[in-house]
Amino acid sequence: MLELKRALDAKGHCLLEMPSGTGKTTTLLSLIVAYMKAHPHDLTKLVYCSRTVPEIEKVMEELRKLMNYYEKEMGMEQNILGLALSSRKNLCIHPSVSKEREGKVVDGRCYGLTASFVRARHAADDAVPICQFYEGFDAHGKEFPLSPGVYNLDDLKEYGQMKGWCPYFLARYTITHANIVVYSYHYLLDPKIAEVVSKEISKTSVVVFDEAHNIDNVCIDSMSVKITKRLLDKCSNSIQILETTISNMKENDSKRLEKEYKRLVEGLRDASIARETDMALVNPVLPSEILEEAVPGTIRTAEHFVAFVKRVVEYIKTRLRVQHVVQESPAGFLRDIHTKVCIDRKPLRFTAERLASLIRTLEISDLTDFSPLVTVSHFATLVSTYTKGFTIIIEPFEDRAPTVPNPILYFSCLDSSIAIKPVFNRFETVVITSGTLSPLDMYPKILDFHPVIMTSFTMTLARPCILPMIVSKGNDQVAMSSRYETREDTAVIRNYGNLLVEIAAAVPDGIVCFFTSYLYLETIVSSWYDQGIIDQLQRHKLLFIETQDAAETSLALINYIKACDNGRGAVLLSVARGKVSEGVDFDHHLGRAVLMFGIPYVYTQSRILRARLEYLRDQFQIKENDFLTFDAMRHAAQCLGRCMRGKTDYGIMVLADKRFSRADKRSKLPKWIQEHLKDTNCNLSTEECVQISKRWLRQMAQPFSREDQLGISLLTIEQLQSEEMQKKIQQRAQAV
Amino acid sequence: MADEDEVKEYRWESGYEKTWEALKEDDDGLLESNVAELMARAKRKRAALKATGAIQLGMMRHLFVVVDASECMFLQDLKPTRFLCVLKLLELFVHEFFDLNPISQLGIMTTKMKRSEQITVLAGNQKKHLEALQKLKDLSCEGEPSLQNSLERAMNGLKNMPAHSSREVVVLFGSLTTCDPGDIQKTIKSLRENNIRVSIIGLAAEVRICREIAKKTGGSYNVLIDDHHLKELILNQVQPPAVAGSMEASLVKMGFPGGTSSANDGTSGSSADHAPAYCLCHIENETSSLMGNNGYNCPQCGSRYCELPVECKQCGLTLVSAPHLARSYHHLFPIKPFIERVQTSETTHCFACAKLFIEADTNVYECETCNQIMCLDCDLFIRETLHTCPGCASDPFTAQMKTN
Repeated sequence: MLELKRALDAKGHCLLEMPSGTGKTTTLLSLIVAYMKAHPHDLTKLVYCSRTVPEIEKVMEELRKLMNYYEKEMGMEQNILGLALSSRKNLCIHPSVSKEREGKVVDGRCYGLTASFVRARHAADDAVPICQFYEGFDAHGKEFPLSPGVYNLDDLKEYGQMKGWCPYFLARYTITHANIVVYSYHYLLDPKIAEVVSKEISKTSVVVFDEAHNIDNVCIDSMSVKITKRLLDKCSNSIQILETTISNMKENDSKRLEKEYKRLVEGLRDASIARETDMALVNPVLPSEILEEAVPGTIRTAEHFVAFVKRVVEYIKTRLRVQHVVQESPAGFLRDIHTKVCIDRKPLRFTAERLASLIRTLEISDLTDFSPLVTVSHFATLVSTYTKGFTIIIEPFEDRAPTVPNPILYFSCLDSSIAIKPVFNRFETVVITSGTLSPLDMYPKILDFHPVIMTSFTMTLARPCILPMIVSKGNDQVAMSSRYETREDTAVIRNYGNLLVEIAAAVPDGIVCFFTSYLYLETIVSSWYDQGIIDQLQRHKLLFIETQDAAETSLALINYIKACDNGRGAVLLSVARGKVSEGVDFDHHLGRAVLMFGIPYVYTQSRILRARLEYLRDQFQIKENDFLTFDAMRHAAQCLGRCMRGKTDYGIMVLADKRFSRADKRSKLPKWIQEHLKDTNCNLSTEECVQISKRWLRQMAQPFSREDQLGISLLTIEQLQSEEMQKKIQQRAQAV
Repeated sequence: MADEDEVKEYRWESGYEKTWEALKEDDDGLLESNVAELMARAKRKRAALKATGAIQLGMMRHLFVVVDASECMFLQDLKPTRFLCVLKLLELFVHEFFDLNPISQLGIMTTKMKRSEQITVLAGNQKKHLEALQKLKDLSCEGEPSLQNSLERAMNGLKNMPAHSSREVVVLFGSLTTCDPGDIQKTIKSLRENNIRVSIIGLAAEVRICREIAKKTGGSYNVLIDDHHLKELILNQVQPPAVAGSMEASLVKMGFPGGTSSANDGTSGSSADHAPAYCLCHIENETSSLMGNNGYNCPQCGSRYCELPVECKQCGLTLVSAPHLARSYHHLFPIKPFIERVQTSETTHCFACAKLFIEADTNVYECETCNQIMCLDCDLFIRETLHTCPGCASDPFTAQMKTN
């Protein structure tokens, strides 16, 4: 809190690492809200970005608790409006649209019911369906702002139902004057969405990125495009649709096309006017200088533009027809496209805008079919806008199946700072926080910003509730490692198996294991099957395996939880970087132990990664190896952190690889894990590890009451105010 | 024991035991004061646990002890094996149990191979249980245990017991897994409905379902640290628990058989008192012999028993002797916990044992009623064995108060 206050005072960015379950969210919320109350002019808004919908809901719950507390202590209603925002899929209350499962379909159908031309048509002809909720909102909602309070997604829906207003648009509208907004990363980082949703957020806001250990990847993903052959085929289809609509329209209503043409000649889109007046988020997809230029003449008329897009698509198609891997820079690509199909850079830049405009003019209400085309247009715009920090890789086939031709064009962003830069520039304070951010100094480098505060906090605990151990060898003294040279070695695989079996016999309830990749998981499981290790394991616990199929995995997860709940006990084999390692919490009995088999390095042969590594080396002076280790260790830490979800929780963390005990790996673990990782536990054999865990588990099972925590990890007000404690806090603050 | 030999490990193959880790040096690098402190604290804690004050205690207990006999009970982290260690402690437990709860009944069950097995039925006969425990030692442990099956079976046994008695199950659970045929939540629910308290002692680590069962049924869940701790945990179950909620108070019919000491007396009683007869507790055994004249006859039906307390097999009457009841009686009036005081120079000696206080005794204990000072050992002795405060008893005034 102290650190956060300093950052707010200094109006700078900060980077905080706090172990999960220690009240990270509460701390952030309560301080920022208090700050907002104390300095209403310096700080007007809190934007809290989280990753998933459940996490958003959790934040809202915390906020509600805080507000209730305020109310109780201050004795009056608080004038603070908190609000969660999610996609249409989660907020829609339209009776038929909300039944749709896929986000894109909901978006498309919603657009089909609420677009201005549809509504105009509805005014003329009652048969055209519209969404009555949107109409309700449009008619009345804007006049009556939401009363202060905390609204999570369900509250919004309920409120919408009650008033007959569309919750999604209500929330979007309310963002502008809400004090606290909670939504997903993408609304701020993804330039395509940020433009729509977040541009009106004022400069004096605080932005918090929670669970931000992967923020660089989110940035990169939001700027990268992947084009496959199927996508291009779909593009051709939608171009045909465009063509027919245009010709239809020409016959019926050519005026509209003319009007559009004129507007384009004037060059400025209406949105850009708004952009100049406000210090809005600068859209990186479309740098502001472009907006001032007129759309180039070659693509002004609808037919010309369609023909132009067709040429682009055909060109990409020919590029995909390769037999070997091609890697080139955007500049090279532009030169090539110029010489081969005579397309200039300038019109390419406008593709995305022009397409959006065309679709609007043509009054196409079902947007879902056009998403491939939109992807290509984004690609065209991006490739022509940025020459630095991107690369184009065309692979004729996947590495795993070299015989199956499946050409893919990757347009990959190498520099994670591009997407996040506008955020850092625009807002005074950006807080990046997560349970696992170590090593901290890497993030400023790869995101290219200068934090004023960079701190890693540890936990104050009444008992040693995590037990990290590094197991480096089996009982037969053969070193355990997932190194490439030894990973096929049966001795290593058998040792891993024995470790798991023995841990399973000693640890109650749930155990989660992480492997480095799906491939590795499969080979290990199959050889365990041959060695009879699976049978041994099933004597103790049930076995569940994560697969790449999301439905299968969630089924496995449900049954895993069931098995843990009714005492049978279960082992879940999953993959670091998989779904399980990121979003799912294994608190209390669900994860009494986490095993990490090997160091989860990324697949280093991937060309995208290589390109990124090279870029990082050239631009930011980060050694390849440093980045790889950093990336591996943050994923390892993330996996380990799954089992600790609070102070009353406890869990064993086993790092089963010899290489973990090296200083460069060990020191990259978060401080709160390192603190408990004693030197004596760094080079254990399987048997030693099991002995230590048995004893530790017995200790942990002893009754643990609130009284034990009092004075150590839980303070009463008197204790907090006592002089001794104040000193201790001071010391601590200086130490970190 | 035959199985035992086959899987025997050498000492160097078995696990590491770092007994020294429990000890910590104090500031001067000495161990002694630390150990003394540890012991005192542990003792006191245990005493404090029991001294729950004047609440209604269930004196008539019906208790099933479920012993895990699954594979994992052969582990040697308790010496010689978990199973043997548990059985040995159980013998002690049975003994203590009947000593403190003379009018209660006990039954023993095991669970292995996903099934549960009844070893002894609910009965008040100490000997029988001890014999059964002896026999159990030869049992081989295999398979997985089933919590649900054993709880169901215990429930069936306890369901029909009178409502004024407390129904309890104590599970000694070594395994970390349970293999159940159905939804254990339903079992927990019906256990609650039947007012059955389940306490579980875990031998390895905290298992969530055990904690849940104990919590929902109002029992306790503990996990041992070592064998001493296990002994303590098991013996903790000897004390009758506080009455759970809706136990009805009712009159219980009891018989007090007159002791007939010698056959030659010949002055009183009916002929049945003197006739040589088979003792009903041993009549099923082939080796049972005609017993002598020493025994107790049921005042209702006249069957003869060699030992009290017992439930008459013929007419179902509970047969006790007056001292038994008196022994149980103290449960109804537990003495109030003594107040811990810092030892000052004014208090020189313990009232009970007249021991002079030395500097090592930092704390002394004062009785609330008679204001006498005791030492720690006496405090524990009074609480655990004597059940009456010597200070109050020797003061005619307070003694009078109490009896009235």
